Amino acid sequence: MRVILTAGPRKNPFIPVEAETIVPARFLQGVDGITVAAGNRILPLTDVFLVEVEGTAADPSGVEVVLRGDNSRLKRIGEYMEAGKIRVEGNIGMHCGNFMKGGEIEILGGADGWLGREMRGGRILCHGNASHYCGSGYRGEKHGMRGGYLEVRGNAGDFAAEYLAGGEVVIRGDCGDMPGVEMKGGTLTIHGSCTRPCGNMTGGTCTVLGSARGMLPTFRRTGTVVHEPGGVILTRFEGDVANRGKGTLLAREWQYTL
Amino acid sequence: MTELLVKNAFVIDPLNGIRGEVMDIAVRDGWIVESVGDGAEVIDAAGCLTLPGGIDSHTHICGTKVNFGRYMMPEDMRAGRTQRRGVMHSTSGYSVPTTYGNSYRYCAMGYTSVLEGAMAPLEARHTHEEFAATPLQDTMANTLFDGNWPVMEAVRDGDVKRAAAIVAWTLAAVKGFAIKLTNPGGSECWGWGKNVHCIREMVPYFGVSPAEIIQTLIRANEMLRLPHSVHLHCNNLGVPGNYTCTIGSMDLAPDLNPDRQSLYLTHVQFHAYGGTSWKDICSKAEPVAYTVNRKPQITIDMGQMMFGKTTTMTADGPMEFNLYRLHHNKWSNHDVELETTSGIIPVYYSRTSVVNCVMWAIGLELALLVKNPWQCLLATDNPNGGPFIKYPEIIALLMSRRYREEELKTLAPGTHSRITLPSLDRELDWHDIAVMTRAGQARALGIRSIGKGHLAPGAEADIAIYPIRVDKTDPSRQYREVIQAFQKTAWTVKRGRPVARDGEILVPGVNKTIWARAKVREELDMGRDPEFARNFDRYYTVRMSNYPVQDVYLQRSLCMESEAQL
Repeated sequence: MRVILTAGPRKNPFIPVEAETIVPARFLQGVDGITVAAGNRILPLTDVFLVEVEGTAADPSGVEVVLRGDNSRLKRIGEYMEAGKIRVEGNIGMHCGNFMKGGEIEILGGADGWLGREMRGGRILCHGNASHYCGSGYRGEKHGMRGGYLEVRGNAGDFAAEYLAGGEVVIRGDCGDMPGVEMKGGTLTIHGSCTRPCGNMTGGTCTVLGSARGMLPTFRRTGTVVHEPGGVILTRFEGDVANRGKGTLLAREWQYTL
Repeated sequence: MTELLVKNAFVIDPLNGIRGEVMDIAVRDGWIVESVGDGAEVIDAAGCLTLPGGIDSHTHICGTKVNFGRYMMPEDMRAGRTQRRGVMHSTSGYSVPTTYGNSYRYCAMGYTSVLEGAMAPLEARHTHEEFAATPLQDTMANTLFDGNWPVMEAVRDGDVKRAAAIVAWTLAAVKGFAIKLTNPGGSECWGWGKNVHCIREMVPYFGVSPAEIIQTLIRANEMLRLPHSVHLHCNNLGVPGNYTCTIGSMDLAPDLNPDRQSLYLTHVQFHAYGGTSWKDICSKAEPVAYTVNRKPQITIDMGQMMFGKTTTMTADGPMEFNLYRLHHNKWSNHDVELETTSGIIPVYYSRTSVVNCVMWAIGLELALLVKNPWQCLLATDNPNGGPFIKYPEIIALLMSRRYREEELKTLAPGTHSRITLPSLDRELDWHDIAVMTRAGQARALGIRSIGKGHLAPGAEADIAIYPIRVDKTDPSRQYREVIQAFQKTAWTVKRGRPVARDGEILVPGVNKTIWARAKVREELDMGRDPEFARNFDRYYTVRMSNYPVQDVYLQRSLCMESEAQL
């Protein structure tokens, strides 16, 4: 089953639309009764999107939701999603894939903040850039992403994989400030560069294949490792010593100045 | 004129000696009267347990540190969310909810009066502003004097009258209700990076001991004839082996007041630990409870700890720092100029931790071992021991041995040898519970005279009607029904108006703030005392004239005046 949602024109396109109802499983019962919150108003899904349904499915894993049009203010899609697929043909707003447990989200454009926040399983692939706090925990939360796979083909903003507790985060481009801060498990791979990685980390592994600037002085250098594929030589650090951490930070180039 | 008749109510009203009678309660204009006319609104309370409105004599729901708990714990706001509905505001939060969340949840449980456990005088405005947004409970504020410089100077000089005069001036200035001593002396020590560990240690510079502060203020309190007694959070909270310090503090209290206790010790569960470290902590509820049994001048509250997530917040700064070193989580610390300190950290009380299990047992042991329920009140030191929404569970635990045994089975291995709870058979009855949740509080706080905590004609019409048939319920077996009934009243009546029906709030509500003013002779009025004014301007960051809370901060207030005998 394919559900194609095309965002219609809106009077004020800046008003955010909270759409935690857009998860593949929800469409098995039909489109009727699905609502979204546009600002402070609850509207039927069909008021905000042009909805086309093709075929049928027996279970959520057979459902693919396709989002078209301008969805850059569409929040919380795929929240608690367990199976199926969401494909966003463009940009997506904040909190995409909140608490996701399974299934797959593919974003052909960029994602706003909190992509895959507190994700527990499944896969998210973002072809464009992701904004701040991708794969992290929400305010005050001590566990960010706990499982699954999150890949950003472009760059990520600040605080990527903050409080990472499990699963795998891959950033193909650069990261902003403080990726992997308070990390306690899982793996974070940054193919580009970043600043001040992994402050207060207590566990897990972070690999920086570009350069890490503003390296924190509270990491103990423990040798080098050869990174496969490619045979790149990385410096191995342990820390954050300030927090009696036992995390691993691998960096190709690093400097203490910013 | 508005009239209300609560018909066929099964009433337990301990202050008037009513131990369960079916009767009608007539209400006119917010007060209970002998009878009302035929046109009165009728509530049929047949088959419902009807009690005076609940009173919480120690809770933290308003003020700077509660609000800082909200700042610090954004994750707490994920729980307890309700949408705006009818007259109800939207609410959120679990251990430190929004003010309306607190108010609605208390109201659904039948609570109509609450006492904020600790208000720093300098930050009183914030407390009063939040009181205004807690519309369904009458509020009172304990005012902190534990590290008050002028008071400690008066204590050092042995001048009880001056200490009393300072208390009188401060209470009237900040619209406070009673004297609160949180780790007396300890908060001043914390400014020097130290703490006092028991009542005979000295506070640096001032050269006074906690014992002297406690004794002086107990006498000052009675000289001022304040409604409540000194409200004490003992030194050395939460340290294994601290029960000796608690008993020592109890021994300081003379019996000075025939109508109520002379010293109220709060959250005694945190002060009844034996052992020498966290490894060998054990319950010392027995000696503490026996001391209470020997001393009618003492009233305590349980400070029961309940398992789950919560936030601890207290004016005991050094203690919170010690907790922070245990948990390594977030921590906030605050110094209030020449008055006190505070600290906040989030905690999770777990059944897998022997220490937490012992704490849980101690609170219940205290309530079961203190013979007179008037001397041991039910509270969790909300939210320190657990949020107040757990009160119904505590009631059921006290009423049912079977429930306690079931819970005991779930505790961490190794707990049983450290506690006496498994050997306690006592099951409290409905009357005991009514005492521990309203009548006892009204007596302890001294607010019976303004019509709180009872249902005789002349009382304020705060009534809680719980949907449970006392004659057909055996609480020791049907404890689940007891929990359910106390979680949600059929009706809550506040000042003669039905304010909640089956947990739904019916009116926006306007509360009142109760505060105390002791009239002192002109020459003891600190507002005119040159030395007091000079030190005030020298050490405070605010001017003395800007210090008092203006009347505009109190929307409705009731001043309990007394003639001081100085």
